[in-house]
Amino acid sequence: MNSSAPIQVNNLCKIYLTRQRKGLFKSQKTTVEALKDVTLQVTAGEIFGLLGPNGAGKTTLIKILTTLLLPTSGEAWVNGFHVQREENKVRASVGCMLMGERGLYWKLTGRENLEYFGALYHLNPSQRKQRAKDIIDLLNLDELADRSVETYSSGQKMKLAFGKALVNDAPLLVLDEPTNTLDVPSASELRVIVRNLNKEGKTVVYTTHIMNEAETLCDRVAIIDRGQLLALGTVNELKASLRQDQVTHFEGAISSKAENALRQLPEVLQTSRSTQEGKAILTVVTAGDKGNLPQLIEILTRQGCVLQKITSEEPTLEDVFIAKTGRTLAQDTSVK
Amino acid sequence: MTLRANLSAMLASTRMRLLFVSRYPGQLAMDIIVPIVLAALPILLGRAGGAANAEAVFEANTGTSNYVAYLLIGSSALNLVTNAFWHMAYWLRREQELGTLETLYQVPTPRIWVAAGTALYSAVRSVSTTLIAFWLGCQIMHVNPFQGEVALALLFILIGLVPLYSLTLLFGAVVLKIKEANALVGLMQWGVIFLMGVYYPITIFPPLVKVLALLFPPTWMTNGVRAALLGVGFFFGTWYKDLAVLWAFMLVTPWLGWWVFSRVEASVRRNEGMGQF
Repeated sequence: MNSSAPIQVNNLCKIYLTRQRKGLFKSQKTTVEALKDVTLQVTAGEIFGLLGPNGAGKTTLIKILTTLLLPTSGEAWVNGFHVQREENKVRASVGCMLMGERGLYWKLTGRENLEYFGALYHLNPSQRKQRAKDIIDLLNLDELADRSVETYSSGQKMKLAFGKALVNDAPLLVLDEPTNTLDVPSASELRVIVRNLNKEGKTVVYTTHIMNEAETLCDRVAIIDRGQLLALGTVNELKASLRQDQVTHFEGAISSKAENALRQLPEVLQTSRSTQEGKAILTVVTAGDKGNLPQLIEILTRQGCVLQKITSEEPTLEDVFIAKTGRTLAQDTSVK
Repeated sequence: MTLRANLSAMLASTRMRLLFVSRYPGQLAMDIIVPIVLAALPILLGRAGGAANAEAVFEANTGTSNYVAYLLIGSSALNLVTNAFWHMAYWLRREQELGTLETLYQVPTPRIWVAAGTALYSAVRSVSTTLIAFWLGCQIMHVNPFQGEVALALLFILIGLVPLYSLTLLFGAVVLKIKEANALVGLMQWGVIFLMGVYYPITIFPPLVKVLALLFPPTWMTNGVRAALLGVGFFFGTWYKDLAVLWAFMLVTPWLGWWVFSRVEASVRRNEGMGQF
């Protein structure tokens, strides 16, 4: 194992036994393979995204990493501690947000919740109070802090649940779909806080089924589907792995002669003209990555074209997901 | 991880649950009213249907003619047992349904301390409301609540609570496994209540049922309190022998309860997990 890695997972498998109901009193035992031989490593200081549809195995993986579940086979270490042999050390070294708003006591106030969990993380009474105050300030929960959680909106509860993950000031944060039920500004605010905490040195494991969120926030992403790790790398690496055609839009005064000159290049597959809001746009499709863009610009300028704007269409994580699974994430999630 | 930190976490659990219940004052009122009503029902029935020598018959069977205090003690003991079962076994199930049970498994405080904090909360709540209910019931029915050896009665209650809560933890584990709280807790609770002799001495049971009754710590606790306050007689003749039995229960049952709980917990975590309901 690599003891310096916040998370090291080796050949992790998880099989559930479940019962399928067959009428009034009959049922049949079946097995569900939730994780299939997953191996990965999270490096210190990164935001690591676990991306996949509902039921992909993301939550099962992080439940094993946070000691809530025992693996069927394989091993895992968190902050150098073995998840089965050193459970309490693992727990002390991780800040978790797994159940969202359900992980809170709704009859207590926000402050009481934070102080109670502070006690369970072995903070002394004055530390608990201070930590709760710091979190309330960080998340701008001052006005709500002394109200029962049951009176909070769903988004406010999620924010407090996120605050609970910060109680023990752990070096590793495990956040399971933390922006679920948040409105757009609140989700954006929470992502900024996650990014800031990451800059302060915290490693973050972030599960989501929202492509854009993983793309903008995560340094590296693992795509999980049906219990299997399908892809792992930085967002750019995953996109580059697609090796798909490059689409570039040139806005400005571009002559037909210049367009013909581009067509002479073997890597140019297609060109087309259009207008958007009165502006002339030439769209050029080339094979391979963006490496040939300087050459295209040089040819156009040599032909006397005046270029006002150049934009490239980049492949998205959604494209990567489709390439790896053959399905769109949105469809998969809605089906579930 | 120090003992002090775990004790502090345990007390925080107790405090949190006391805070929690303080926001349900109706429940606390119920805790006080129910034992009085449960004692009043047979008392009033006895007054309505009792013959001239009813008290003498009662004394011959139980060892005291003070049937009002006898039944009030029984219903108070019933309150303690009922609360223990619901607060512990149903607590686990409720936390599971609410989603907070998984949260409790993410913290470094060992579960035994959280469970002990919850048991302490339950004991504080139950003993307080039961004592108030007993005192109030005595006032309403015009009997002296401070007769006999009050300190000895309290000792029987305090020592009896440990095996009682250990049993409820054991039972809570079963509830976690089969995820059927209401019916199971209800069945177990009424079974124990029947055996512990809430309204009658267990001497009236057939021999086999009597032996079964003596296997339950609440039976010894209830009789110990009655013997201390009303002089109905200890099972082994003297208070210290009966107390020694409760001590033995106190030494064995926590280990048994925790052992069963740990086994069930491991089994649940190996499969679907604690949060699955």
